[in-house]
Amino acid sequence: MTDEKKINIVLAGQGNAGKSSVFNYFTGLHQHIGNWAGKTIEKLEGTLFYKGYTIDVLDLPGIYSLTTYSVEEKISREYIISQKPDFVINIIDSTNLERNLIFTLQLLELECPIILVLNMIDLAKKKGITIDSYKFQDIISAPVIRTVASRGFGLTDIVDKAIERKGIKNDYTAPKYGKEIEKCISELSIRLKDIDLPYPERWTAIKLLEKDSEIIKIVREKKPEVLERAKQLSVTLEEIHGHDSSIVIADERSHLASQITREIVNLLPHRKISMNDRLDVVTTHKITGYLVMILILGGMFLTVFSFGNWFSGRMEMIFKDWHGWWSTNVGVSFLAALGWAAIESVLALVQIAFPYILPFYIILYILEDWGYIARISFLMDKVMHKMGIHGKGSISFIISFGCNVPGCLSCRIMETKRERFITAVLVTLVPCSAVSVIIFGLVGKYVGLLWTLGLYVFAMVLILFLGRISAKLIPGEPVELIMPMPDYKTPHIRTILRQTWQALKEFIFIAAPVVIISGVIIQAINLAGWMQAISLFLSPLTVQWLGLPAITGILLIFGILRKELILVMLAAYLGTANFSDALTSQQMITLAVVSMFYIPCVATISILWKDYGWKKAIAICIIEIGFAILLAGLVKRLLDFVF
Amino acid sequence: MINKKDRMSLIDIKDGRSGIIISVLGGRILTKRLADLGLTTGTEIKVIGRTLFSGPVQIEVCGSRLVIGRGLASKITVELK
Repeated sequence: MTDEKKINIVLAGQGNAGKSSVFNYFTGLHQHIGNWAGKTIEKLEGTLFYKGYTIDVLDLPGIYSLTTYSVEEKISREYIISQKPDFVINIIDSTNLERNLIFTLQLLELECPIILVLNMIDLAKKKGITIDSYKFQDIISAPVIRTVASRGFGLTDIVDKAIERKGIKNDYTAPKYGKEIEKCISELSIRLKDIDLPYPERWTAIKLLEKDSEIIKIVREKKPEVLERAKQLSVTLEEIHGHDSSIVIADERSHLASQITREIVNLLPHRKISMNDRLDVVTTHKITGYLVMILILGGMFLTVFSFGNWFSGRMEMIFKDWHGWWSTNVGVSFLAALGWAAIESVLALVQIAFPYILPFYIILYILEDWGYIARISFLMDKVMHKMGIHGKGSISFIISFGCNVPGCLSCRIMETKRERFITAVLVTLVPCSAVSVIIFGLVGKYVGLLWTLGLYVFAMVLILFLGRISAKLIPGEPVELIMPMPDYKTPHIRTILRQTWQALKEFIFIAAPVVIISGVIIQAINLAGWMQAISLFLSPLTVQWLGLPAITGILLIFGILRKELILVMLAAYLGTANFSDALTSQQMITLAVVSMFYIPCVATISILWKDYGWKKAIAICIIEIGFAILLAGLVKRLLDFVF
Repeated sequence: MINKKDRMSLIDIKDGRSGIIISVLGGRILTKRLADLGLTTGTEIKVIGRTLFSGPVQIEVCGSRLVIGRGLASKITVELK
């Protein structure tokens, strides 16, 4: 049987433990990124061929516990129980052993074959932490391997261990909890013995005491009288300890974790304060923290825009003769024009979006790998709370300044549906690099830098204001921030490049098809000669309400594809890039305001559609169109007093 | 007898001071969430700092650092060491 040469392993661990480094090391090019059935959460799978074995690797989402609190946790738990992988590889952050152990204990309760990986053992050593892995191995009766995943150190030992132990029956003596709790657990386990459950009895018993609603439902169907007894036992535990029985068990795990940590860890007395500690004090300080943040983010945008402008210019030079080549070689038929529309859409994506998004992602991932992103969440939590979301939402905002598409995607890190939705809606109002091209190209160049800055401040205030309203309108309680604060560490180049590549790939796969299709459709409308009629039809809005030239009606339609087209096509229409010939300062500001808010671009709409359903996606578009037009009209009337 | 004065909400503790968690108020899911991160009664914690205008609190617990929102922090009672 070829089956003997097949092993499947899953990687499980808390966030920041280095799971993805291990996954990438193992699977390299043989990766498959999909979604969990019906969920927007990524499913990462890959294959490793090693010593004649085919090893399937699955990366479970990074989580903090196996209680069904979030979708990720539910997925992970279900997968381990139902798919019964050969091994669960628990990646542990050695610098945060105690907290990671709480999760490990929950994995052990599942009674699956487990291999423990003490990752970042080098960083732990730097912090003066030495871990006795032999003692650790004895206590938890599972193999322990020491690794430094970012450098690939120790990783083959994991697979070697899996091959060595394949087929060996595990007889676990998982660490035991306190006496009276174990008594309750074993009593319930015995009562559960005679019913057919897909789960281990001891685990089921623990979950019943923890009042896990899903497990209670399953047991109710099979043997409801066990629930009665579980309830009685819970009450007894609650009487002894004075808290809810689920908390009693969580407490127990946490105490056991600290007990094990004390036994296996030798902590050297703190040596001199390290550079990183000092950096941490400055970057999270009440005052200097904000100053540093402004400097870092300001520097980031400056770099992105100066690099982007330069790179975009280079690309333009390369592509400028392609249209001529197409017309001479393919001809100038209706179909050829549509074909060119498709090509041009891709070129524009490469030429306009790529130069800004590439450096943006690189810097973003440097900041993340370094550990700075968590500091921003910390510093911005208070402001974000005003909008009914917590500090982690600030990351989506920052990403959105580069591009709304990954900004919307990143909202998935928020814990609840409500927060995800609020963040996604607000994020679509953040001026992305394409909108910035318009703002800088019109207002920055012809009206003045102060007005440009004013527009950004205006956008932020508006987002804050709308956030406050949506926090009140959308029902539900705001979730509080709970976030581990990682230590600063030297950014790892390979990790950063890999993440950048993956993000770019995702952007291209999502954005390109939508951009091409809509590009062709709009071109078809144009060729059919309906554009004039459309601009006439829209003129009550564009000309009378907004005080703009009639042509802007068409520009705004093209802008749905990509916002910067508003500027690009305006230049094409005027036959010059000197916009001050055609627009007054007032019109420029009005046009910039409309462009900023009037609709998310098609690529962003497609994400909203995918993650929140078409009803919400369309509702967002309609509301934003109405809102932007109303707002810009008011701005125009206010500007009447200024200019 | 324990002096009541030494017990206070986590948000009232000065930066740099440590104490033992006496109680965690709040819903079952939330309390459990905190427990999964090592924040349970009897655990020693140290306040590292917080942001302007009473923002979230940064604490050290079980040898690693956590940031928790102010609302949550207010539900944790600590006895000063």
